[in-house]
Amino acid sequence: MTSDNQQTTIPTLQHTLDNFKDCYDLVHHSLPDIQVDLVYFFHMIGHEEFDRDVITPLTEAGQPALQTLLKRSQYQLTLNSKHLIKGILEGSVAIFHNGDAYLVNVAKPATRPVQQSESETVISGPHDAFVEKAELNLSLIRSKLKSSHLKVIRLEVGEVTKNAVYILYIDGLANMDNVNELVNRIQLIETDSVYDNNMLLQYIDDAPNSVFPIFQSSERTDTAVSKLIGGRVLGILDGSPTVFSAPTSFFEFFTSPDDYYQLWPIGTATRLLRLVAIIITLSFTALYVSVTTFHYEMIPETLLLTLTESRSRVPFPPIYEALLMELTIELLREAGARLPSKIGQTIGIVGGIVIGQAAVQAGLTSNILIIAVASSAIASFVIPSYVMSASIRLIRFGLIFLAGILGNLGILMGIALILIHLSSLTSLKASYMTPLTPLNLSDWRDVFIRAPFWAMKRRPSQTRSPNMIENKMKK
Amino acid sequence: MKEKLYPVHVALLIYILQTGVTLFSLPRLLAQHIGYNGWASLFIFSAIAIANILLIGLLHRVGKGKSIFVIIEQSLPKFIAFPLYSILIALWSLIGCLVMKQYVIIFQVFAFPGVHPMFIKALADFLAYALVIKGIYILSKAATNFFFVLFWLLLLLLFFVKEFHFINLTTFVFKDSSDLLMGGLGIYSAFLGYELSILLFPYAEKKGFVKAVITGNLLSTLTYLSVSFVSFGFYSIGQLRRIQFPIFDLLAYIQLPFIERIESLVFAIFLLSALIILSMYMWAAIEASRRIIPKANRKKYIALLFLIAYIVSWIPDTLHEVTRALRLLSFMEMGVAFGLPLFLLLLIIIQKGVKGRA
Repeated sequence: MTSDNQQTTIPTLQHTLDNFKDCYDLVHHSLPDIQVDLVYFFHMIGHEEFDRDVITPLTEAGQPALQTLLKRSQYQLTLNSKHLIKGILEGSVAIFHNGDAYLVNVAKPATRPVQQSESETVISGPHDAFVEKAELNLSLIRSKLKSSHLKVIRLEVGEVTKNAVYILYIDGLANMDNVNELVNRIQLIETDSVYDNNMLLQYIDDAPNSVFPIFQSSERTDTAVSKLIGGRVLGILDGSPTVFSAPTSFFEFFTSPDDYYQLWPIGTATRLLRLVAIIITLSFTALYVSVTTFHYEMIPETLLLTLTESRSRVPFPPIYEALLMELTIELLREAGARLPSKIGQTIGIVGGIVIGQAAVQAGLTSNILIIAVASSAIASFVIPSYVMSASIRLIRFGLIFLAGILGNLGILMGIALILIHLSSLTSLKASYMTPLTPLNLSDWRDVFIRAPFWAMKRRPSQTRSPNMIENKMKK
Repeated sequence: MKEKLYPVHVALLIYILQTGVTLFSLPRLLAQHIGYNGWASLFIFSAIAIANILLIGLLHRVGKGKSIFVIIEQSLPKFIAFPLYSILIALWSLIGCLVMKQYVIIFQVFAFPGVHPMFIKALADFLAYALVIKGIYILSKAATNFFFVLFWLLLLLLFFVKEFHFINLTTFVFKDSSDLLMGGLGIYSAFLGYELSILLFPYAEKKGFVKAVITGNLLSTLTYLSVSFVSFGFYSIGQLRRIQFPIFDLLAYIQLPFIERIESLVFAIFLLSALIILSMYMWAAIEASRRIIPKANRKKYIALLFLIAYIVSWIPDTLHEVTRALRLLSFMEMGVAFGLPLFLLLLIIIQKGVKGRA
């Protein structure tokens, strides 16, 4: 059956059953006394809603009053077979009576309850996170953002999976160019299936070949609402427990909701600590390689004795030593993520300690390198965004390699290449390096530090919101 | 609406363009050619640069922000304009290449003395190519990002607060100078870079453009002033005249519990500055070459220009030869810095005169 035929065919029972031929999970329920046939997926419907909205009213109404009953708004007359089939696939019940077809929405597919986010934990603040069901996610956002200005656009992606995508924005705060651009990109996606939000983002990315994420994803409801208030556009994909916001700046990946729930001096100190962590994770191991290979003069005499003693038993050049340990750490991290949680934690801790100690005793590596690599690894986990943390870990290998070839000059060449690449990136056509480029000092209050709330009255300049000052929303 | 360069990005671009490798030998040049308290002459050099910038500003106002190439082509036929462009292309591309070569040769004082400098230069040229092909807007964004890596280095001057002695400055001002004219021109070459703002006319916002260029120049002056002042207070005049790169020895003095002899690291960070200088001068050469061959494939002819400049820059072998070549090119560039705006102003006056009579 071609899609053209589906568009023009009037929906009939036989046509519908032919479409779902060999679908064991489809139920065809006949009520011959009232000449009604029901077609639905038994696992997609809510059984209470089915009894309340379908079975009970139909059986109580009986044959004479059935036509009047079916005129109620919850029974949608459907004249298009494609629409009818789509409704059944989404969990509605199709009612066939006297040649007419109706849809009743009693969908209640299985979903997990609202739980705490596993990847984005905070010390203080709300702990509820999104789930796979888009409608539940919408209700979580609406419960936190009670405004009629919150608008929702529904789109679909995936020719086969037909996942719903909801685009949310606050009318009057979001720049409509951003909304339209995002809607346009999603509508241009041509693929059979999209399983997750992060997969969807790769289709609408400004720079799909870049190692850096262009849009930010989050499982947290408070983060999502704060992005909407900031004038950004939010996207929810049905079937994915994360939502994405656009446009996104590079520096957003280094902020955490915790920063706002603590006092501003503590929030500021935490953000500065994260900046230091980024520098450590990027450069510590590379500097070790550079200094021990080409620039020994940079090490003070007292430390030099310890270092040479530590390295004296290692037969490899520092670059091989560093790459070996970095690879080991990455293997441990990846294995720990794949194993069941009860085993994974044990393997991670024991493996790290045992392998590290054994490597030093075997003379494969030096003590100081273990400290450098471990510090870099810990510092990488300070970055709140897992996706950005993974990008930075990948870049670290490049810097280590360059340090091994050209020392300090190699590290700076790597940093120059990274900065050149970052300067050319955009997120929904807005500069990725805002508020450095274009330079906007007022935005720095919520990027490099966490200023007091009374000092943060402007929305981020990257969003190009038509309403830049907070608390100026028309009621 | 077409993207335009904001004044703050123009200012930071000019700052990075001016603040280059010369910084490391500037105190010696001041001590040798200007004499005692030679750092104070930086005000005079800066004032001359500002006067030149105001001349460029006058051209910007009179020309209504038109590109200089449009002004030239409206008055001069192609057989005159193209040779002029060719000279500018050769000058700018060689300056950029030799600045980078000088940087690489100086870096080899610390590491890789056995490596051929052209190998390291090729890597740096690759980075500059990656930057230039993205255009002036990305170039200026990269310059701003580089600025935020570089400007922290000024804080290193705080390490010399205890070792700074006013007695080293002496009470003499500009005494015991030598070769004042040529030496002065050599010192003024440290301020070159602002003249490329003449090419930014069609790309920058008109409002605040001249102020931005002057601000960039003043930031450079402040940097040179603070570094030179500390050098004059740290070293005696005799020491300052004998040490080729006094800033390296200054940085070597800094000792922390976990790190010392940071001059190789600091000089490595200055790769970012050298990269912007190379990229901007190559971009300037490319802008001029586009007027001669506008239809050529952009990425290919940029690569060709880089290759030609790379091959030509192979000729000077040692630091002395590179420095001498750069000196000569800097003098020519000073001529362009002053002469080109004057020449263009003359062309505009003639154009207006011809239009008036018509």
